[in-house]
Amino acid sequence: MTGPAASDEPVDDEWADAPFTAGRAADARARLLLRPKSARRARMHPFAILGLWAWQTALSLGVAIPAAALVARVYGMHPRADAPLWDAGGLALMDFLWRDARALSPVAATAEITLVVGAVGGLLPAAAVMMAMGRVPRHRTAATLSQALSAALWAMPAFSFLLVVFALVQGATLAMGYGVTQLVESTTTGLGAVRAERLSIASGVVFLLLASGLGVVHDLARAAVVCARARGARAIVLGARAFGAAPLPLWWSWAWRGLAAAVPVLAVAFFTGTVGGRGGATLALVAMLHQAVILARVSLHASWLARALRAIDGWPA
Amino acid sequence: MRRAFAWIAFVGAAGLHGDARDSPLPLHAAIDDEPVPARAEDVVDYTLRARLDPKAHTLHGEGTIVWRNTSVAPVHDLWLHLYMNAFKNTSSAFLSERVGGRGSAASGDWGWIDVRKLVLRAADGAGMDLWPGAEVRRGEGRLGEAEGAISEPPRAGVPQAGRREETHQDDETDARVPLPEEVAPGATITLDVVFDEKLPAIVERTGYAGSFHMVGQWFPKVARLERSGRWAHFPFHHLSEFYADFGSYDVTLDVPERFVLGATGAAIESTVENGRRIERHVQRGVHDFAWTAWDEFVTLKDTIDGVHVTLLHPPGFGRIAQRELEALRFALPYFSARYGPYPYDVLTVVHPPDDAEEAGGMEYPTLITSEGPWWEPAGVREPEVVTIHELGHQWFYGLVATDEHAWPLLDEGLNQFAEVDAMAKWLGPGSLVDMVGLKVGDAEVQAVGGNASVHDEPVAQAADAFSSGANYGRLVYSRTASVLETVARVYGEEATLHALGVYARRYRFAHPVPDDLLRVFHETMGPRVAETLRAAFFDEGWVDYAVDGVWTQEAERAAGVFDRGGARETVDAGASEQGGWDSSVLVRRRGTLSFPVDVELTFADGSTHRERWDAEEGWRRLTWHGPSALVSAVVDPDGRLLVDSNPSNNFGAPPGAGRTPSVRPTAAPRTLERATYWMQLALQAVSP
Repeated sequence: MTGPAASDEPVDDEWADAPFTAGRAADARARLLLRPKSARRARMHPFAILGLWAWQTALSLGVAIPAAALVARVYGMHPRADAPLWDAGGLALMDFLWRDARALSPVAATAEITLVVGAVGGLLPAAAVMMAMGRVPRHRTAATLSQALSAALWAMPAFSFLLVVFALVQGATLAMGYGVTQLVESTTTGLGAVRAERLSIASGVVFLLLASGLGVVHDLARAAVVCARARGARAIVLGARAFGAAPLPLWWSWAWRGLAAAVPVLAVAFFTGTVGGRGGATLALVAMLHQAVILARVSLHASWLARALRAIDGWPA
Repeated sequence: MRRAFAWIAFVGAAGLHGDARDSPLPLHAAIDDEPVPARAEDVVDYTLRARLDPKAHTLHGEGTIVWRNTSVAPVHDLWLHLYMNAFKNTSSAFLSERVGGRGSAASGDWGWIDVRKLVLRAADGAGMDLWPGAEVRRGEGRLGEAEGAISEPPRAGVPQAGRREETHQDDETDARVPLPEEVAPGATITLDVVFDEKLPAIVERTGYAGSFHMVGQWFPKVARLERSGRWAHFPFHHLSEFYADFGSYDVTLDVPERFVLGATGAAIESTVENGRRIERHVQRGVHDFAWTAWDEFVTLKDTIDGVHVTLLHPPGFGRIAQRELEALRFALPYFSARYGPYPYDVLTVVHPPDDAEEAGGMEYPTLITSEGPWWEPAGVREPEVVTIHELGHQWFYGLVATDEHAWPLLDEGLNQFAEVDAMAKWLGPGSLVDMVGLKVGDAEVQAVGGNASVHDEPVAQAADAFSSGANYGRLVYSRTASVLETVARVYGEEATLHALGVYARRYRFAHPVPDDLLRVFHETMGPRVAETLRAAFFDEGWVDYAVDGVWTQEAERAAGVFDRGGARETVDAGASEQGGWDSSVLVRRRGTLSFPVDVELTFADGSTHRERWDAEEGWRRLTWHGPSALVSAVVDPDGRLLVDSNPSNNFGAPPGAGRTPSVRPTAAPRTLERATYWMQLALQAVSP
């Protein structure tokens, strides 16, 4: 893989004339230059990470507030407020879910819609974060929010194209994997049910690894959009080429961050399980821990995206 | 039989359900004072030999049945249960009753039993084959007249509502065999029997899956003759289980050498001859015999509480098998202490392979089957709860031995409570699920399930009277357990377990009926508890406690016109010179059950006060004068009433009208916090 000479200075690549700067092209400060690889680091962009966290939090509150209002309508006059719902054993919670299932269905529908919005609309903040990490205005240390968003908007067609392509390919891979697991299980039952299931799972893991590799290529292709202004198939080729140059290190870069992101979730879950429905300072502590977990996960994701950006050269090979 | 493992007992750490101090009852005599019958009366003895062909999934059986008339009446015919015929065709009662529940999936292969001979031995050694005269199809002879017969006539106040009208003309599971001459009370007959059998593909409790064979309800089995002379015979109904007399079983099993056998009773002989493994199992004092054979079983052995335990499991299930053994290490001594000593030397636990799941979660004398996939996470207690549930049956189904067809609540219901209690004692609040911070209790799951169908039909009815498998599960299992758990939480856990312990000891080997259970509760816990149980089980009893109004205001002096000392005085309204606040709470008890309950009052200064309401009347107004305004009232603040139909109306606050201070509803901060967090995690999972 070839690339620009190592330098701490931003590279004045052709991005400066990108369409999203139209109308402001005369303003040199609006031009986004490619950062040198060494500067494409998530830790240098705390506000981008906070922005991504804020986006997820805002969407989540859109579901959580109606859910909490529904609970408050029933338990608002209880001296412990909604604490009984979170007592160990789960009686009040199960009773509430069973009794108020109909009232909860709009909340459930809102949650489903929010997840769809998050899956599709999440492209924009993800692109903005990548732009912020990969690009910088001349003589500035970071792009402004509007600059990052403008650049992200420019990248949306390419990002959307990549989302559709990789969703189809990954979906097909997983479907094929499911078929293979069924085939393996049915043809190896002679070895014993458990062995057959384990072989089936092992064959499924192969396809999961393939799908995860495709996910890595997807992110690398998006990095190519950011770094090399690549679009469509060219972005995929650049992403695949970057992956091909160092598949295991890149996959492991993605994988260890994914594994690390699960650790705080489990750790905090055990803690919250022990405090149950306590309020006051304990609840505040739980809330802080939960948001720290979310921020840590966002940071790890951003860190991976930065790693993907570092894997892509500024110029198409 | 297992209850559905709901994918989901709240026992507080400190004596949770109230302790003896809460109980209005006198301290009980030690449970050990209740005598335990040493052994069952031998009514019917089976000496059988069965040879399995594991490729054709058939078996050939022959042997001898010795039966004694222990009733007060002469007997003119014999009733035999041929339950393998439940899987013979879709006209059987079992397959034609489309009520849902376990065993509803179509079997991949039919199963049946053909009796070849049933020879009555005469005193002179000659024999007479009775089988040609037997009536097997329900449409034949007197079988039609017998339809609907259950173990006892309907009792006063016991509705038999909802029993289905099907006559099951072609069912072949309940055969009448006319006898050439009557059998007098106390007399004994000997029958030589020969039969051939085809096992079905695994379907509810029995059958084969590959080379795995679970063989239950496999031999011609004499129905139980009640002391009155009435036969407790019945077809194999879809929701029904079993009922039989005690006796001795001497069964020789003959399978290919490579097969591992597990069976009721101890193996007293085991030989290999001509490539066949031949094992002889003998057990006295039981009322059924089941066995399993598989060439892939892995065997674990242990001795727990003096009982030789054999655990048979598929390869790869070692971790699950260890969890099941751990459950037994807790539950065997626990149940023995609660319900009387386990009287047998052996216990076999069978964990069927995944493709024979229908064989899992079942009880036979000294043999139970468990379930759960090999990968089950430690926090999901399926292997533990199923093992403990089926083990509990050894005391209720096995030793007390009630009629599971007529009174399923006496086995499945009481055993479900025993399971809930044991799981809570062993594992605490997360007795069903305890993982990643989520703790779900067995008792709580039963409470929600039991409340769901309480108005549909009674708990105490015959298995075939239930409208659906779902209601059978919710009422027989869940409702019975949550009613008893509520009694334990309200009147004292030790008192309740003591009562059930007395029942299980006193009626060991005795085939009791619900009246016997209620009598024991009346005797040990008093008439109110007994009446509560009667109403809950027989009359669709329900209850809903509610806070129907809360008022508080500054104390006022008496105002108006008063004639004092010969003079008329007008006193204006105004604050009382003593100061303070007057508060009142209206609490209601709706429904037909009643339990004494606490009402907790919380005041503006943060103090609380509890009042006990016996709740024998439908409502009560509690009044209180104190230095602070009342801000809320909660009925049943400790959540003892698992049977409360609507726990979300158990609290209230002043409405804030007039001079009453307004109490604004609080938000739901915990829900907001957790819902936000979970949604954030979900979004991260789908975000690009």
